[in-house]
Amino acid sequence: MALIELDQVHLEFKVRQFKRLTLKEFVIRGMFSRSANPVMHVHALKGVSLRVTEGERLGILGHNGAGKSTLLKLLAGVYPPTAGQRRVVGRISSLFDIALGFEPDSNGWDNIFNRGYLQGETPQSIRGKVDQIAEFSELGQFLDMPVRYYSAGMMVRLAFSIATAIEPEILIVDEVLSVGDLAFQQKAARRIREMMAKARLIVMVSHDLESLINLSTRCIWLDHGSIKLEGAPAEVVHAYQHYFAPTAAAA
Amino acid sequence: MFTYLTRLWDIRHFWLSLVRMDLRTRYRRSVLGLGWSLLQPLTMTLVLCVVFAHFVKVDVRDYVPHLLTGLVCWNFLVACSVQGCQSFFLGEQYIRQTPLPLGVYPLRTAIGAVFHLSMGLLVLLLVTGILRGPASPYAYLSLLPSLALLFVFGWSVAVLAGTANVFFQDTQHLAEVGFQILFYLTPIIYRVEDLAGHQLGWLLQLNPVVPFLQLVRTPLLYGTPPSIGVLAAACGLTAVAVIAASATLRKMQDTLVFYL
Repeated sequence: MALIELDQVHLEFKVRQFKRLTLKEFVIRGMFSRSANPVMHVHALKGVSLRVTEGERLGILGHNGAGKSTLLKLLAGVYPPTAGQRRVVGRISSLFDIALGFEPDSNGWDNIFNRGYLQGETPQSIRGKVDQIAEFSELGQFLDMPVRYYSAGMMVRLAFSIATAIEPEILIVDEVLSVGDLAFQQKAARRIREMMAKARLIVMVSHDLESLINLSTRCIWLDHGSIKLEGAPAEVVHAYQHYFAPTAAAA
Repeated sequence: MFTYLTRLWDIRHFWLSLVRMDLRTRYRRSVLGLGWSLLQPLTMTLVLCVVFAHFVKVDVRDYVPHLLTGLVCWNFLVACSVQGCQSFFLGEQYIRQTPLPLGVYPLRTAIGAVFHLSMGLLVLLLVTGILRGPASPYAYLSLLPSLALLFVFGWSVAVLAGTANVFFQDTQHLAEVGFQILFYLTPIIYRVEDLAGHQLGWLLQLNPVVPFLQLVRTPLLYGTPPSIGVLAAACGLTAVAVIAASATLRKMQDTLVFYL
């Protein structure tokens, strides 16, 4: 049983204009004046209600900064809702910020194990998958090298290979359909489809509208932190295209 | 608290592999390997012995174990606080992707530090055994709970330091300066007795590091388990640190990610 339920979820957080304070600054400002480093409130999600059940593949679209990635992180449990209820049944695997999460000074093999453990593998279960991960990444002897020396593309290959070696119940995907070079992209797209066939519930964010229509069973259009439209993928995608380029969509 | 610890235990493979990678990276860089981390207290002991033996009358058989225990324990506490400052930033990439109990990241720092502390203690056992003869089995046995106490204290301190550093970016710098001053207020290169009768002797009574030093020093130097008073003081300090750290973790678990 896999289920995601959001009920009137709000997310609001504070950011400081100049990143972090120093203690010296804090003491001095606290004594003399305030507001040299004002706090800004970001209301990222505004009353999002959502119910995704077993077997569904939900696509999310929207312009940059609409709150798509924030919503995914909230679903994954990284961000807590400020108000409203979040209920998730099932083990979540998430593919976002895919090139992050490596220990730069350790080699590829060590990082395969480490990330595997992060995804809930045990030493026994990962041992059977290591060779398959290494093979899929096509990194060969580079795996003996510290990850620090990898190119961005190599890191993405490795990360993708590890992340997709698991069999998730709930899969949350953020823009990973375009990873690596051309050859790897095709391989990755195949792998994603295989994974999607296995996962019981998928939520994905993409700017590739074609693949959203092909892959998802339902779409939502997120606009300034709330759901603007929800419905069949083709329908939502068309409305979205029409909204941003009325003439092009009509042609 | 118990459920928190079970959750930490469930993801033990993850933090153990982080610690393993940390240690391996650290030792791969130097030919001396493990010896490198012991070289600093050993050299310092040697230098101070030569200098002090020259103008103060010290018995090397007393002074070497005294100094070395002091340095090894001191290094542990400094490592937990100063490296602890970076613990959440080191784990930032994981925090941003997966909701894990936040205590994992300071734990990684504390286990690394306790590993070095244990290595130091092994050398100390050897040195004191040679210089002062073997202590009673009870004294040696008392080192195990003391080590556990130091570990829990160090972990809590790392939690507090890490959180402080997330909010105030100069915490690590201030901690380094503070520890440099505290070093001279701590009976490491001198003995508690040396300040007895001095006007400032009371400062040592307030120094939170002293009970932890005595926890290790008494068995190794005098061959007896630490006194109940010392043990109580160390337990009390650890309890305070644990309470502060768990309150911090509870408060920050959901929200720390917004400040990274």
